[in-house]
Amino acid sequence: MIAQRAGTTVLRRVAGKPNTFFSANVAKFGLAQPLSTTQLRPVATQKITADEAAALLAKQRLNRPVSPHLAIYDKQQTWFGSSAWTRITGASLSGTLYLFATAYLAAPMLGWHLESASIAAAFGALPVAVKGGIKFLAAWPFAFHTFNGVKHLLYDMTIGFHRKQIVKQSWYLWGASLVTGMFLAFFL
Amino acid sequence: MASIARSSLLRQVASASRVSMATRPALQQSVLARAATFHTTSKRELLPPLPQRIKGTVNDAVPVPEPSPAQGSYHWTFDRLVAAGLVPLTVAPFAAGSLNPTLDAILCAGILIHSHSGFQQIIIDYVPKYRTPTARKLFMWGLNAATVVVGLALYEFETTDVGLTEAIKRIWTA
Amino acid sequence: MAAIRSSSALLLGAAASRPALRTAVTSSTAAAVRGMAQVADAAQQTATSSEKPRLKTFQVYRWNPDKPTEKPRMQSYTLDLNKTGPMVLDALLRIKNELDPTLTFRRSCREGICGSCAMNINGTNTLACLCRIPKEDNSDVKIYPLPHTYVIKDLVPDLTHFYKQYKSIKPYLQRDTPAPDGKEYRQSKEDRKKLDGLYECILCACCSTSCPSYWWNSEEYLGPAILLQSYRWLADSRDERKAERKAALNNSMSLYRCHTILNCTRTCPKGLNPGLAIAQIKKELAF
Repeated sequence: MIAQRAGTTVLRRVAGKPNTFFSANVAKFGLAQPLSTTQLRPVATQKITADEAAALLAKQRLNRPVSPHLAIYDKQQTWFGSSAWTRITGASLSGTLYLFATAYLAAPMLGWHLESASIAAAFGALPVAVKGGIKFLAAWPFAFHTFNGVKHLLYDMTIGFHRKQIVKQSWYLWGASLVTGMFLAFFL
Repeated sequence: MASIARSSLLRQVASASRVSMATRPALQQSVLARAATFHTTSKRELLPPLPQRIKGTVNDAVPVPEPSPAQGSYHWTFDRLVAAGLVPLTVAPFAAGSLNPTLDAILCAGILIHSHSGFQQIIIDYVPKYRTPTARKLFMWGLNAATVVVGLALYEFETTDVGLTEAIKRIWTA
Repeated sequence: MAAIRSSSALLLGAAASRPALRTAVTSSTAAAVRGMAQVADAAQQTATSSEKPRLKTFQVYRWNPDKPTEKPRMQSYTLDLNKTGPMVLDALLRIKNELDPTLTFRRSCREGICGSCAMNINGTNTLACLCRIPKEDNSDVKIYPLPHTYVIKDLVPDLTHFYKQYKSIKPYLQRDTPAPDGKEYRQSKEDRKKLDGLYECILCACCSTSCPSYWWNSEEYLGPAILLQSYRWLADSRDERKAERKAALNNSMSLYRCHTILNCTRTCPKGLNPGLAIAQIKKELAF
């Protein structure tokens, strides 16, 4: 084995020199044949047509698993990604609006009271902490969606794509939206 | 969720195999792998990826869809214009206290369109047409119906009640 | 040769539960088996024999197509970093050479120019040859194939669909008018500069397989790598089929499944910016 390798090294060295005659004709002379490093493999080969090969491949493809994705990808990017959370906050705000609006339309038929005055009265009767909590649950998604919405509008104008800043921007906006949400909930 | 559970399972298998992979005979190893199999299949993903099928040979390009700017560039530009328009409309009430009825109605319409296209994007992303065409149709028509209902409700709210921004202000300061 | 190697692997495997013994066995048998590599390994060993072995465990995703009923699993390998090169690819090669010859992965250039060794290392897609083995902590290195791809074997994903998508954007210069001087299509320095940051893409698929949108909709969405390549031809001053290229992207799926998540830009091992390229396509299509 070592002898074989030494042989190929020599061959490579020779071939490496700018000797066009040698390297162009090495195959013709059959020099490469006895020095080949191909391992011997006791495997029987079998000739099949192109169609059979394609069918075999198609069958093998059906067995292939899908490699893991969400579960293994960098948690910081998949779980705190600002794009995903912009969608989540937006969908929850819009979802609330859709639910409330549908209920508002159905209220006269069901005998509910969803006029702004009665809701305000009911809300005012809640303890301060609960009020603040509910307000924060509305204010934080609103702040997050607004800030990141503006960021995405800037992205669409091809602004703010510097690789180093992307991560920082994302964390700044998380912080800013939390602070703004707190402010809107408890100080307004 | 299912995939999260699976990852922890993989980790268990991995830690178990670190101790045992080499020392245990092959038979036991396959038992270990089979145990993992049982647990992973007991959790079901919502839309698990299909087995791999490739259309055409390796040298064929994937088909290029027909251009439809109404679903592509026009739609995208319109979405951005609505979103950009909503920014001043949401900031204005903070500055002025509340909006006059016309602006309030425009805000409502903007929010409605913005919500509708947002939900549309979610449906396009998670209910793929090539795979579940019927479900896609159902979701889209369901969304259209919901948006009409919400539009009616907002019209009612704007005309009979105090208006969106004023209502939020009253509840917020209640 | 093959026989000797597999028996040594078995021997190593048997000692795996006793790490201290294992490293000793590894170095001696490996040296005996590896032939030419013996010199290097021995020299390194004498140089570092006084040092404490720095053990690092690599958890590698395994799946064997010959046993399709078996689920994919994670297998652990422990290496002494004193005897291993600095990059993850060095570790993988060493595992394959000395511990487990059945471990399968793609590699070619070992210097980040071929894109073969793209894989998911510790949660981020990168090229194994450009990714240093993290040495500051003792946590395991987790190595998976590119996420949400069909696995051919172990760390080898099937990129057929990816390449078919690449073909669909016609990645070549399309012109109808001949060159003015009849020789070559000339370009100003400014126009050439527009291709910087685009032409360097090696199509390793790290970005595409980091994109959640591509995970869910790879059937129809082209993904960041292909779109960056698409923009490379849209931005080329010599190309004369821009309208056609734009029309091919102007539908709800091919381009507009991009939601500027920017995993692509964060992961690109070549330091390119696929997210920016896609934003530029959208901007060009918008007005």
